Amino acid sequence: MADDQQATRISRRNFIKIMGVAGAALASRRLLNGRPVRADRPAAATAELPPPPAKTEADVLLRMQEELARALKKPPAERRWVMVIDLRKCVGCHACTIACVAENKLPPSVVYRPVIEKEIGTYPNVSRLFVPRPCMQCEKPPCTPVCPVNATYTNEEGVVVVDYEQCIGCRACITACPYGARTSDFGYTYTEDTPVADGLIVGREKADDYERASNFEYGKGYDRPRSHGSPIGNARKCHFCLHRLHEGLLPACVTTCIGRATLFGDANDPDSLVAEMISKPNVMVLKEELGTKPRVYYLV
Amino acid sequence: MKTEATLKRVIYVLGAAALLFGLWGFYLRFFVGERMVNYGSYVVWGLWVAMYLFYGGISTGSMMIASLDYLFGIRLFKGIGKTALWAAVVTMPAALVTIGMDLGHMERVWKVFLQPNLLSVMAQLVWGYSIFMVVLLAALWLIIRLERGKQDARPWLRFVMAVGLFLSIFLSGGVGALLGVNASREAWHTAMLPAQFPVFSLLSGCALMLVLLGWFAPADEKRNSQLRALSIGLLILLLIKTYYLWVDYSQALYAGTPVATEAVEQVLFGRWGWAFWLLQLGLGMVFPIAFLLYKRFQQNPLWSGVVGVAVLVGIAVARANIIFPMLSIPELEGLATAFTGPHLTFDYYPSLMEWSVTLGVTGGAALAWLLGMDYLPFLKTQSKEVAQ
Repeated sequence: MADDQQATRISRRNFIKIMGVAGAALASRRLLNGRPVRADRPAAATAELPPPPAKTEADVLLRMQEELARALKKPPAERRWVMVIDLRKCVGCHACTIACVAENKLPPSVVYRPVIEKEIGTYPNVSRLFVPRPCMQCEKPPCTPVCPVNATYTNEEGVVVVDYEQCIGCRACITACPYGARTSDFGYTYTEDTPVADGLIVGREKADDYERASNFEYGKGYDRPRSHGSPIGNARKCHFCLHRLHEGLLPACVTTCIGRATLFGDANDPDSLVAEMISKPNVMVLKEELGTKPRVYYLV
Repeated sequence: MKTEATLKRVIYVLGAAALLFGLWGFYLRFFVGERMVNYGSYVVWGLWVAMYLFYGGISTGSMMIASLDYLFGIRLFKGIGKTALWAAVVTMPAALVTIGMDLGHMERVWKVFLQPNLLSVMAQLVWGYSIFMVVLLAALWLIIRLERGKQDARPWLRFVMAVGLFLSIFLSGGVGALLGVNASREAWHTAMLPAQFPVFSLLSGCALMLVLLGWFAPADEKRNSQLRALSIGLLILLLIKTYYLWVDYSQALYAGTPVATEAVEQVLFGRWGWAFWLLQLGLGMVFPIAFLLYKRFQQNPLWSGVVGVAVLVGIAVARANIIFPMLSIPELEGLATAFTGPHLTFDYYPSLMEWSVTLGVTGGAALAWLLGMDYLPFLKTQSKEVAQ
């Protein structure tokens, strides 16, 4: 018992000595090189953690950006723009819808890419599914042959476009679209008819200016007129942001997708991400039975 | 005679009132634009398209009736050709004005003539209507020449009427095809529509002639015979229309798949269900059929006109029931709530401006017909001709 007490005393004394030396050493080290002091990790815990990845996988956006640059070097007719939407990754944030509205300065009543929300099952076994729905850019589009003045057609890159100056606004193309992917511009703005009392809405006038500014669809500057004139009165639709593509930029909805659920590229490039994705067995298109051959694919 | 004068006065007053009300709608359409309409990007076509089908059907149907006189030379119908032709002349512009109001850029209509896509049914119809109007005016001009004793006009008149009859069938069927080519619209995509629409046009023309003869033609034995013949014709056409309705709806409902039944259920039990049961079926079909089955009513001028109006109201509602309910079905489930905003709804009811334009066009057409019959010299001879 006496030996034990002696051992304890020695031990306590030794401990105080060690702590004193160690403290002085650490303090001097900090003073000397200014580095933070960090406690050593227990050896056992470090051994259980997985090793850090040797190389971080690049963001798919960077890959698609490179592929886009590659595709733009080819003649337009050799490109086949395709969009792939991975429904397992879509979180229903609607960022793509908003990005599209901002990019194309879409007024109220016009939408190119709504996100359809579906509720599956009944309480308590309920799940939700989000289906972004851009224009399907069909290879066999039912909307183009009905146009009485050839105002809507498939361009050489395979994108279904609308010539705003040619369109007479009959809306036959909207009726013919099986996906509800076209909307008519009835001439609204978001800021018009809002209260005008000073200070009530900050920046109202600037916002109005923004809405009137050109939207650059189809590579042209379409100022929004205050009365009548295109694109007011026209059928409007998603065009895969052709004006961005030609500048080497991905469509606005693709770059904005927080879950990287929307992929875009040239399916004629066998090394492209979209070519890889549309060859997967879990790929599908909307209303396949109609035979319109959409260029928008969904991964399920 | 007294009844005729009273009816004429009533229609003059109602027509003028409707036209005045319509001017307000035209003003709004031209100076405010399409913001005051209730159709949109989902219910793409509304009241104006339905009324375009209606007036177009009356015009082409009237041409068919006129051909009984001027092309086929049926003695019984001698004298009604001009009345029918004039009705066709005033109702075709009514159809074109109504559909013109529906265009987002009506100032670009010239492009359909100079830069057309002739594979488009709509472009074919625009060209067809234009030729049809020329044919109608040519026929009227030839009739005037004939009445002035220029017998060389007769073969030309027969030729022009033959072209007119062909066009009236082509244009009626074409309207059916305009809807029918939309493969994704289950209730429209049937070859039956282009086959049915010429029958509906003839029915419209027949009903209008009952009104015009019954209310405005001089009372004589010949008119009674013509009324009876037209009544029997109308009865047969109504029975055919009933059969069409039955096969269309029963087949869709029997199939039971949602895509087939949805449109029919919209018509029968949807927002516009009352219009189907009361106006299209009750007023437009059951009442006239029951009425026309009695011979003594078939020669009653006043009631013939009433039956004609009832049938026309029924046809107008039927045209609307072809358009709205089908477009009220979302192309994709959930689309209605995916993005909201003005004109992004599947629930349609015409706005006051749409009604205003429709009534204005109707009033204008009625006034034009009456004014022509009362004041245009070559149409005023109608009374004598019928009396002969």
